[in-house]
Amino acid sequence: MTQETSRTTVAGRLTITALVMAFAMISAAPSTATATDTPIVAPSFDLTDPARIAVGKKRFNKTCAGYCHGSDGVGGRAPDFKGRTDLPDEEAYRTIFHGRRTSDIMPPWGEAFTPDQIWELVAYIKFLGTQ
Amino acid sequence: MTASRKMFRLSAALLAGSALSFLTAAPAMAQGKAGFEDPNNWPEYHRTSNAWRFSPLNQVTRENVKKLKVAWVHQPGNITHGLQATPIVIDGVMYSISANNNVWAIDAATGKTLWNYAPKLDKIVDQVFYGAASRGVTVGRGKVFLGTLDGRFIALDQKTGKELWSTQLTAPKTQYGALFSAPPQLAGNVLFGGTTGGDQPIAGKIYAVNADTGKPAWTFDVIKNDPKSWPGDSGKVGGGSAWMPGTYDAKTDTIYIGTSNAAPDYYNYDRKGDNLYTASLLAIEGKTGKLKWHRQEVPNDSWDYDSAYEALVVQKDGKDVIVHLNKGGFVFVMDKKDGALENVWQFSENVNWVKGIDPKTGALIDPIYPEVDKVKTFCPNLLGARSWNHGAYNPGTGLWYSHAMEVCNEVVAGKDDPDNLKAVSALSLGIESIKLVAPPNSKPHGRLDARDPLTGKVKWSIKYDMPPLSSVLTTAGGLVFTGDLEGKIFGYDADTGKELWSFNSGSGLRGGPVSYSVKGKQYIVFPTGLGSHAPGFLAGAFPQIKDLPGGAALIAFTLE
Repeated sequence: MTQETSRTTVAGRLTITALVMAFAMISAAPSTATATDTPIVAPSFDLTDPARIAVGKKRFNKTCAGYCHGSDGVGGRAPDFKGRTDLPDEEAYRTIFHGRRTSDIMPPWGEAFTPDQIWELVAYIKFLGTQ
Repeated sequence: MTASRKMFRLSAALLAGSALSFLTAAPAMAQGKAGFEDPNNWPEYHRTSNAWRFSPLNQVTRENVKKLKVAWVHQPGNITHGLQATPIVIDGVMYSISANNNVWAIDAATGKTLWNYAPKLDKIVDQVFYGAASRGVTVGRGKVFLGTLDGRFIALDQKTGKELWSTQLTAPKTQYGALFSAPPQLAGNVLFGGTTGGDQPIAGKIYAVNADTGKPAWTFDVIKNDPKSWPGDSGKVGGGSAWMPGTYDAKTDTIYIGTSNAAPDYYNYDRKGDNLYTASLLAIEGKTGKLKWHRQEVPNDSWDYDSAYEALVVQKDGKDVIVHLNKGGFVFVMDKKDGALENVWQFSENVNWVKGIDPKTGALIDPIYPEVDKVKTFCPNLLGARSWNHGAYNPGTGLWYSHAMEVCNEVVAGKDDPDNLKAVSALSLGIESIKLVAPPNSKPHGRLDARDPLTGKVKWSIKYDMPPLSSVLTTAGGLVFTGDLEGKIFGYDADTGKELWSFNSGSGLRGGPVSYSVKGKQYIVFPTGLGSHAPGFLAGAFPQIKDLPGGAALIAFTLE
């Protein structure tokens, strides 16, 4: 996949996501915690940019890997990121933004990181998927 | 059911409990002796103030433990972060807590819910790192007390579960979600407790309120106001929270409570000093909050080793001593009166951050510190020689039963990026990277050790593929109870460690098993349901943890 088509695909998916989110706003009162009123902002860079992947890796190692996802995304209660190819970009973004609660807890990072900082993490997770 | 009917049933249960108490399972030794008080109940977190987690009941024995059958199961409905509590049981009523600070009063003989209280929590709780979980409630003065996920102490009416008072103590939005995961404890008419925060860039405090009114009584600053101990502004983000329940000696009005590591955890460059009173055991006057004495076990803690665990009290040469495990893999034995050191012994098989600790002075011998740009392996790992799951002491065998884990971590220290500290859930780990690894020359594993608490001499030891995270219970029936990460519950012979009974509960154990008696019948209850961040972190060394199911159920057993 070329960089151009990759970005177009991401942008297309994001539009649908934004629509879904707009609908969710009508049907349920948003909370600050789930931040459903915050649309996904598209990345300002190519998710395969090695420099951005490196920045994402650094942030991942300093935060996410500390307790939760393990070094190189191997470990933790979530599926390993290394070699994982079934995680859509926007789903990764949304999960980082909103966090998730099942039997375990991932706290939300949406109010702390800028969209591009989250996309850098997504870029690194995508990179791990190719390893 | 109406409130009045609920109350009637509760009163009837209480009456029945007290009227029939003389028929209950005979305690092994005379009442009144330390550790044997109130034998039919589990009235406080560790049952008694000496933190033994020992039940004097002896109806269930080595001979008949095989006949234990399920009496009832209580399911709170929400499994987020499992069940981490140690239930309290008084006169036939169990008080416990589940996800999101849901408090339950339960008929301890049938499992029937008598009342349930669900606090309205601030939305901030959806953003905190240590979400959903609570390790118990405290019962006394006709009230049930809890610490909340949004930084409050709350008192409920013991009979009805109605809220009596609520006091906001922390500012979760500016204190990185500082919350009470441990139940606040009673010291006379004072209710005290510390927050999460050993790994957050805050200054740890211990809070105390009047237990009857909720009015603030005193606050103890874990971060000592001393520039030698904390250069510059380092103390403002120095961590040091007291995140486990303390214990209270009513005779001397003394609170014993341990404190956490200093922060940033691994990056000590801005806090060159001993960082008092982090990684210390504190003796505090209950009435005033004044420090009586302290013993710092890990000065300038740069490994996330804490000293927050239980202060076990046993006798040595006719005097009371405190036996105190820390995450760094050592047990400190000290005079209960003044903290004078009696001994230090090594608990972990794998310790490499120091060559040892001087048993006479407590001084660290040749500590190795984390550094920036260098990968260094430290044993134990940041979850410690053991997680917070408490040990138990049996006066019949003279043995202390405690789980252990042998796992190390590779760490590169690094200054925290301010961008990463904007989230309420942010941790100030002070790392560039961290990775769990096996100990040198062995596989990572867990254990249950039966040891002499004063010397560490091992009587028996059981090895597990994955480290159990359940607290331990021991009884006068000569038994030791615990459970593993897969949900298997075990009853062992307290003398030999021989497995005498087991039961598969289906989800791992993280709380504290208890034993009590109602209408002459001994019950043993296990909180089941895997939770907390620890299993997730351990999955780095034990990949099989990834597939373990969550859950949340109190399971009660009694003889047929």
